Amino acid sequence: MISRRGDLVASAADDLKIGKREHMDKTDNRSERLAMQKELGAKGERPARSLGISRRIFLHKSVLAGVGGAAAAGWFPFLNTIEVAQAAQTSFRFAWISDTHMYPREVNTRFVEKTIRAFKEVQAMNPPADFLIIGGDIGQLGNPVELELGAELLKEVKTKKVYIPGEHDWYLDMGKAWEKMFGAPYWYFDHKGVRFIGLDTISHAKDFWTIKKMTPQERMGHMATLDGTVGGAWAAVGPEQLAWLDRTMSSWPKDKPVVIFSHNPLFDYYAPWNFWVRDWREVNEILKRHDNVTSVHGHVHQVLYHEIGKMRSIGMLATSWPWPYAPKGVPKLTKCMVRVDPGDYFDGVGWSALGMNSASKVDNEYVMWRKDIYATATADSGCGDNRNQVLHPRLADAETPPNTADASRARTTEK
Amino acid sequence: MKLTRKNWISACGALAVLFLVASQAAAHKEKHTPEQLKVFEEVFLEQVRIGDLLFHGDAETEKTMGVQLSRTGMSCAMCHPFASDTHPHEFPKFQEQIGKFSTLRDMINWCIEKPNEGVKLDSDSDAMKALEAYIYWSNRGSKLEPGTH
Repeated sequence: MISRRGDLVASAADDLKIGKREHMDKTDNRSERLAMQKELGAKGERPARSLGISRRIFLHKSVLAGVGGAAAAGWFPFLNTIEVAQAAQTSFRFAWISDTHMYPREVNTRFVEKTIRAFKEVQAMNPPADFLIIGGDIGQLGNPVELELGAELLKEVKTKKVYIPGEHDWYLDMGKAWEKMFGAPYWYFDHKGVRFIGLDTISHAKDFWTIKKMTPQERMGHMATLDGTVGGAWAAVGPEQLAWLDRTMSSWPKDKPVVIFSHNPLFDYYAPWNFWVRDWREVNEILKRHDNVTSVHGHVHQVLYHEIGKMRSIGMLATSWPWPYAPKGVPKLTKCMVRVDPGDYFDGVGWSALGMNSASKVDNEYVMWRKDIYATATADSGCGDNRNQVLHPRLADAETPPNTADASRARTTEK
Repeated sequence: MKLTRKNWISACGALAVLFLVASQAAAHKEKHTPEQLKVFEEVFLEQVRIGDLLFHGDAETEKTMGVQLSRTGMSCAMCHPFASDTHPHEFPKFQEQIGKFSTLRDMINWCIEKPNEGVKLDSDSDAMKALEAYIYWSNRGSKLEPGTH
């Protein structure tokens, strides 16, 4: 049972059955591990032996541990050996799918195809997921037809499902259809010793539409444009929900694990694309009292990893399309994903199989539908690709006339 | 002719006049007024504005210009916010997807035809020039690196 807006205290969802536990894939990944060792290991380090883990899990461990963390620990393979040994005893698993961005079925069949694939793969997880979190942006333009298509396809997944909204779901009718179909936009529940919290980070845009007498479609159009200027810094948790989050965290022991789901990242990555929440400082003031907090977020459509104090933050892939990394602000701990082939619509996208290991840490496996996830060379990296790139905000939707002074200055500088 | 002091001064004077005339001829035209420069800029920025609208999937602009850049609902900006990852400063180059030496306009057309499933543009059309103007403008300040992957 899920509490709605904090009015109810959730009962543990322990009635969910866990499937037979199986050890993870023991594929020989020696060459990949050696490559990783070569890249990240300090001089003279020996690679770990007999880890017996899948390549994806291994690579991800390096991300979770963080390059900085690895350096601090001094011996990277040893760090991984510990984590992986624990990961083999995953106590339960769950899945994340978000950013399916569906249009009406006939408009974009590729997005439907990829959504179906993700849902089927979650249903086929073995051991199964205890629940699936849908992390927002089911639809593209908030059209009830899009949301209904999502709900219909979701029937494929028989496990428990929980939902948080994305901005694309919301701004046609201010969340009416979404709430009717998927419930409260923020909530928490406790499951097997973990407090899971779902936040609404998308419904707090400042009203830019009333004074301009915009139609709901126009409002939605601005909110659906990632690099638009009209929607402004719309991502936020908001005072009411912050107070609720404070109470929700206060009623949970400080040393017990908390996993927070949100559509937007809970740190300042790149504000112009709302790769943040504008009140991230207040959020972190509340979260930093706890020792074991993992934030899992969508919206960025890319591999992302960050740490703020004791909180770890993991960015999720979209099933629809990948965003490029922002021109600045990519956390140093992120190992960038590959440069995506625009001709291959299964590249750079997917979903995540997550698990809570016996050390009460979250394991994350990016299920990307192409072989390579992480870049190993600059020429193939989604970050390295953008060297020498200077970007500017758009002008066609700007309130003020084109910034001619800026253009003149740019010319002068270049002479 | 004996080079007298008078002749020397006359020769220098003639040369000075010649230089003055020649330099004016090389300048070609009058100095630009601020008003002229403003007009040049306005012409450019109007194309940027149109390109920005096309790049962001503005249906009205597409209709006015008689183009269809996408049939999937996707606009250019959905993969390229702020025209990022378009790399205008790296063209021309060998473009992997096209399999040959390509210009930015070739790549714009590839994106329209392949991922967007739209109708490709005449390479010299107004819509293509506007898209190019927007992409360059948004990436201004990037270092020129033609031929880079």
